[in-house]
Amino acid sequence: MNVDQQGESTTVDWQQYESDAQQAIVAASTAGELDDARVHYLGRKGDLAQALRAVRDRESGMLLNGIRARLETAVDARRAAIENEELQRLYAKSSFDVTLPGETPQRGRLHILTQVKREIEDVFLGMGFEVYEGGEVTDTWHNFDALTTDPGHPSRSPTDTFYLSDDVLLRTHTSPDQIRLMESRQPPIYAIMPGRCYRRDTPDATHSPTFLQVESLVVDRGITLSDLKGVVLHFFRALFGPEREVRMRTSYFPFTEPSVEFDVTCFLCNGQGCAVCKHSGWIEMGGAGWVDPDVFRNVGYDPEVWSGFAFGLGIERIAMLRHGLGDLRLFWENDVRMLEQF
Amino acid sequence: MKVPVTWLREYVDFDLPVEELARRLVFTSCEVDRVVRRGVADGNGNLELFLVGKVLEAEKHPDADRLQLTKVDVGEGEPRSIVCGAWNFGAGATVAVALPGAVLPNGLTLERRKVRGEVSDGMILAEDEVDLGTDHSGIMLLDPEHEPGTPLAEVLPLGDTVLEIETGYNRPDLTSIYGIAREVSALLNVPLAPMPGVQDSGPVPNDEAVDIRIEDFERCPRYIGRLFRGVRVGDSPHWLKARLLGAGMRPISNVVDVTNYVMLALGNPLHAFDHAKLAESRIVVRRAREGETIRTLDGAERTLTSEELVIADAERPVAVAGIMGGEESEVSADTQTVLLEAANFEQLGVLRSGERLHMRSESQTRWEKGVAPELAEPAANYATQLLDELTGARWTGHADVKAEFSERPFIRLRPARAQEVVGIPIEETDQRERLIRLGFDVDPEWNVDTPYWRARDVKREIDLVEEVARFHLEEVPPTLPTREELFGQLTREQRLRRLVADVLVGCGYFEAYTYSLQADDPHPDALVLPEPLSELQRVLRTTLLYGLIGAARHNVNVGTEDVALFEIAHVYLATGEPLPNEPWHLGGIVRGDFYRAKGAVEQVFSALKLESRFERAPHPFMPSPASAAVEGGWVSQLDPRLLEGEWSAFELDLPELFAQVPERVLYEDVITYPPVRQDLAFSVPEEVSAGELVAAAREAAGPELREMRAFDVYHGEQVGPKRKSIAFAVTFQSPERTLSDEDATRLRTAVVEALAARFGAELRA
Repeated sequence: MNVDQQGESTTVDWQQYESDAQQAIVAASTAGELDDARVHYLGRKGDLAQALRAVRDRESGMLLNGIRARLETAVDARRAAIENEELQRLYAKSSFDVTLPGETPQRGRLHILTQVKREIEDVFLGMGFEVYEGGEVTDTWHNFDALTTDPGHPSRSPTDTFYLSDDVLLRTHTSPDQIRLMESRQPPIYAIMPGRCYRRDTPDATHSPTFLQVESLVVDRGITLSDLKGVVLHFFRALFGPEREVRMRTSYFPFTEPSVEFDVTCFLCNGQGCAVCKHSGWIEMGGAGWVDPDVFRNVGYDPEVWSGFAFGLGIERIAMLRHGLGDLRLFWENDVRMLEQF
Repeated sequence: MKVPVTWLREYVDFDLPVEELARRLVFTSCEVDRVVRRGVADGNGNLELFLVGKVLEAEKHPDADRLQLTKVDVGEGEPRSIVCGAWNFGAGATVAVALPGAVLPNGLTLERRKVRGEVSDGMILAEDEVDLGTDHSGIMLLDPEHEPGTPLAEVLPLGDTVLEIETGYNRPDLTSIYGIAREVSALLNVPLAPMPGVQDSGPVPNDEAVDIRIEDFERCPRYIGRLFRGVRVGDSPHWLKARLLGAGMRPISNVVDVTNYVMLALGNPLHAFDHAKLAESRIVVRRAREGETIRTLDGAERTLTSEELVIADAERPVAVAGIMGGEESEVSADTQTVLLEAANFEQLGVLRSGERLHMRSESQTRWEKGVAPELAEPAANYATQLLDELTGARWTGHADVKAEFSERPFIRLRPARAQEVVGIPIEETDQRERLIRLGFDVDPEWNVDTPYWRARDVKREIDLVEEVARFHLEEVPPTLPTREELFGQLTREQRLRRLVADVLVGCGYFEAYTYSLQADDPHPDALVLPEPLSELQRVLRTTLLYGLIGAARHNVNVGTEDVALFEIAHVYLATGEPLPNEPWHLGGIVRGDFYRAKGAVEQVFSALKLESRFERAPHPFMPSPASAAVEGGWVSQLDPRLLEGEWSAFELDLPELFAQVPERVLYEDVITYPPVRQDLAFSVPEEVSAGELVAAAREAAGPELREMRAFDVYHGEQVGPKRKSIAFAVTFQSPERTLSDEDATRLRTAVVEALAARFGAELRA
């Protein structure tokens, strides 16, 4: 094949040229050798480049471009292979210990009670509840009277409750927030109220004069105990797993009528009976009930129009049950060796 | 309260297993903590090993002075040899015998064995050995009419099942066996025996007057006094002792046991006085005189105030009303005439007296729940009947002094209301039957009369709904409320609080929970509890610092080296109003210097999109010069007297900070036009702060001075005495165009000149 139309120049055997080039590429064992081969066969001054510049007819152009494309592909492939071989050689020399510890950036922790509290809040937020926070210092109206706690109820006694004066006290439960919230606006209300509460209990493994409660309040039209059970069931399934069941037992609280106590099937033994559930298969979780009509009257709601439920539980209790913490005082000691486990 | 099942069955019969009854009561009536077996165990033929025996021979053991050697016929033909340590019997006595293999209530298994060389083939039983009493001074002597070999269980209440229940504050009626029986009757829809003391009162004697005076009808609405003569004080029969023990009370004497038995049966506490010890044979229910004393049955000498209600005779208190009797008027072995008290005491008065005197008694726990005054009468009747039967007493006098009782509630019930509350239909016949079983009168129009024993608790329609609803709680299905409006997100402040906590966690801080009540507080107006639980928890804090110091100290003491803690909690600031202001504060403590604490605070400000300006300011209670004020709070090196070593702390008022947080963040173009970066070092007088230099530079250069951050401070010869060099990394940038070299020079010159003019700053190389 003659590329030179003028017939002045040498003729090149392009088949031979490609085959030589391929051999040179394959023979290159370093990046430098490969580059030499590339410059020689594909470089601007190489035969192929020059011939391409001089090409005039379509047939020759296709032929030469085909050769160039194949050689470029071969160079790329060879380069990748050489790089790979070089890395392999480099890595072959070192023995790397992946079991040595990583560099540790300082990482703190949220307190386990905050983690549990947030989780509870998030479950209720997902059910369309809001989080309402009132004050911890409150008056007897919000803590007792408005909640229809009668004057003889033991919780009012100064042996149970911290009083600042005859009328002002540290709330003994989160329920005064129910009253505050209802006093502040009209239904519907779907809210939870977490926070610190105070009772005159001498601290030991199961008592703390300061503790955290979370309480939920719903006020709407046509709310029944059945709705209470549904919300509680959803909540405990979210917290303790989809297999959980709940049951309601009769109980007494001044501000709900009927009042019930909630149990959930033990998540450790799945209701078979173990030490945690005292071999009953059920764990007591908290108190609840249908809001007493007199509580509605006390905040100016019409109990023939509105109905609702309230339910409350201890945040520490959930943390203790779930994480096997046996002593309430651990929460208030703030020992980093405990905190960092969560 | 402990409920022996054989006692319960006296009032209500049922045929489901006790465990199942307990399970269902838990839903409808009260908590059942445990179901326990007491006395001799049943099963494996154990009960059959307890027999009636007739002592054929009894003589001293040849080798032991304190033992008797006996031959006892237990109906086997051949008598058994039994060695016995008791001497209160001889040949001919009818006794209780346990044979080898028998398991006693204390877990011991009897064996045939030799005692000092003589075979003992069984055991003659004392009452305490089979839980029928507490006496171990001799063996039990049985009625001689029982044939030897008769199973002992037919003669004595050898064992029982006991329900241990907890009753609610609203249910005084459940502090009695009969009250529990009434619940069982309603639960299972089975008949209930008539209440003891209601039907068989008999003719009231009029032989002699009983002098009862009530001075405080509010605290004591009723006092029935009954006089009994010819009382023979002694032991109670075994059936009564077994029931008292089963219910958790110690038998004392027949008279006292009767008062306790009736209290347990009906829920109305009673008291028995030795009538001979009452001055002028008179009972006066009155307030104590200030400083009056009484020695109560527990042996304690108590000084009373005029707040205490007492039962007195003509001269002195003989009982603290509703709580405990006095020692001097106690029924003793010599007592022949008894004055029985069946009274009613108002709940709050008893509660408060108990608190003031630090006393606890079985009767008190009942009065505190509010017992109806109507109950005193059946209680008096039942006790009269038992005293007659068990002590041979003759009832000779009676007085019943009472106030007007409050009217019993009368309620209109809409049966449809139950479904509106519970969510499932409850048949009308079901509602009616249930209420009637519980003692309510229900007329055809659903007008309902509450029985006196529930009058305090059931006053309104909703209370009746609960009475029927509580028997259906197991059937209630879970549903979800039908919503017409949906909301449900954290408030802005709640979201920001979570953000702040997360930032500090990212900075390596551990969150702490420390007590709101502290031993002390630096604020003079901090709220102080008048009656704290302990001196360590006395004041409502105005700062989170001291709780954090305590937590840090704990960690140091247990050997944790690098401690960084934060807390987000309320502080309590007096307002002059009854209620304090309770802002959320953020507090932090960290081992290390001022700048370590400051770095965390800067991160918090940055996350909140706030600029932080720190100014050197004396701290109200921290002496270190490394103390700065910043918006909403402070950062400071800790006083080393508070915690050994180098520590720093900070505290911020979160609502104050959050008020300044921008609603939204607007994008700033820092990408299109490149910044110009320069390092500038200035020599300045020692007292000039980096912050002042930056503020002045900003003022001079305007917004095109994007950032100016100090990265080095140098003291030394090259800057001369009383001077220092501060090096800044400076970034000039415009959001609108690329800054030219001339622009950069202009900005730099503006900064240099301003700092020179304001602070005598000299630009170094």
